[in-house]
Amino acid sequence: MTEATGTDPAQDRRPPGTLRLNQRAFEPDRLLVMAIVNRTPDSFYQPGVTWDAAAAMARVHAVVAEGADIVDIGGVPARPGDDVDAREEIRRTVPFVAAVRNAYPDLVISVDTWRHEVGREACAAGADLLNDTWGGWDGRLAEVAAEFGAGVVCSHAGHLPPRTRPFRVAYEDVVQDVLDATLALAARAVDVGVDPARILIDPAHDFGKNTWHSLEITRRLEELVGTGWPVLVSLSNKDFVGETLDAAVDERLAGTLATTAVCAWLGARVFRAHQVRDTRHVLDMVSAIRGDIPPARAVRGLA
Amino acid sequence: MIAGAALCPSPPLLCPQLTGRHAVVPELRTACAEVVRRLLRHDPEVIVIIGPAAATGAWDGAGRLNPSVFAPAIASTGTGSAPLALGLGAMLLDQAGYQGRRVLQAVGQDEPASACVRLGAELAATEARMGLLVMGDGSARRGPRAPGYRDPRAVTFDAEVERAVRSGEVDALRRLDRALARELMATGRPAWQVLSGAMGSLAPAAEVLYCDDPFGVRYLVAYLSPRP
Repeated sequence: MTEATGTDPAQDRRPPGTLRLNQRAFEPDRLLVMAIVNRTPDSFYQPGVTWDAAAAMARVHAVVAEGADIVDIGGVPARPGDDVDAREEIRRTVPFVAAVRNAYPDLVISVDTWRHEVGREACAAGADLLNDTWGGWDGRLAEVAAEFGAGVVCSHAGHLPPRTRPFRVAYEDVVQDVLDATLALAARAVDVGVDPARILIDPAHDFGKNTWHSLEITRRLEELVGTGWPVLVSLSNKDFVGETLDAAVDERLAGTLATTAVCAWLGARVFRAHQVRDTRHVLDMVSAIRGDIPPARAVRGLA
Repeated sequence: MIAGAALCPSPPLLCPQLTGRHAVVPELRTACAEVVRRLLRHDPEVIVIIGPAAATGAWDGAGRLNPSVFAPAIASTGTGSAPLALGLGAMLLDQAGYQGRRVLQAVGQDEPASACVRLGAELAATEARMGLLVMGDGSARRGPRAPGYRDPRAVTFDAEVERAVRSGEVDALRRLDRALARELMATGRPAWQVLSGAMGSLAPAAEVLYCDDPFGVRYLVAYLSPRP
């Protein structure tokens, strides 16, 4: 499955730069929480909890209060299930994007979609970032981002079509494959006119990967960070955590947070999460250990 | 000639860089800022910062606190930085925008009262209109959460310091017991005795701006103005 395009990570190394989303500029030492808000009845984690529009808006209020920098609004579950066409996906997400934009002019709004039709409507309603989890399946999505001055997440989905599970997937070198795929997508996004400061890459844990692969991309995350593109990781309560710990979906918080800490230490900058407050605490702790932020309140031994 | 004397405590937490993102005892910092403002109001020709340190001696007027010794995440300002109490005094002057002449006078932690008093008298024996910034703390053993836990003698010791300052009877500070002060982790003792020596027979009017122990250490902020 590996496409040996000869990408040499050492050669591609460059320092991280400012990430721009909405009107905001985030420096490399600033770690961001992207809160998941699903407009679906059937996502894997707490299915249907924000299917209701009022419940979804209540969650937005809650996650903003808990320290979310970005909300990621999705209308189609990643896993296989009932068909959701573009029209239905727009119905689920776009009016909600408009409502969130109206309530929070400065909040960064991301929309989790692979379809350019959805991306266009979402950007027109105020979305700042298109989170293309399915690895550029629809080549026109980046063009929509460029058209609206929005950002785009370039993911590695293991060359699978949207909403498909990995089946006996194998890589000579999964990290090299992730680098090849995401760097090609990022280069193409730049080519079609997306602002390079608004492009992120995401190795996409679990997407087109077994648990061993997801652990490997975590272990070697520095190779992605070294490209200079801001790295987004989406770890929250995923199957690779569950399989690693033999933990059911509601027992994966500790594993998720441990992985979050490791990824933060290795240089990831955006963390897509269900549990915003806990994730914020982990990121602040890592930032303080790195010396990027001071403690909230230090008195011990200083009185 | 003593134009006035400001008394401030010298915990590291006085330095805003060291306590993190949230405000820590803002009322203490406000009181220190206010008392330094009062000191500068008299337009002194020189400010002498008096603070306890390992040994008696004068430090370069350019001396500053190096916060890095307490918080290594903060870039070091170099070696040979001023002792804590003097560095914090310098910081308070900087915060007040003071750019005039300053002297940083350390007084040894173990210096006997007589030597402290003599040092104070020498400092005061100058024609220059002088402001004193006296940095010192009471006991750090004022309760179960205090750095030095609890010593029943702490309250009495600190009460006597407070009484002497409030009444302007700075003479009484000479009688503070060196060994007891050490046992009570009351680091201000030698600095207060230098103050006593500098004031000589002046009976200053006193105002106490802050007197509390939020972390089990006695902090006293006061202003003394000599009466003619």
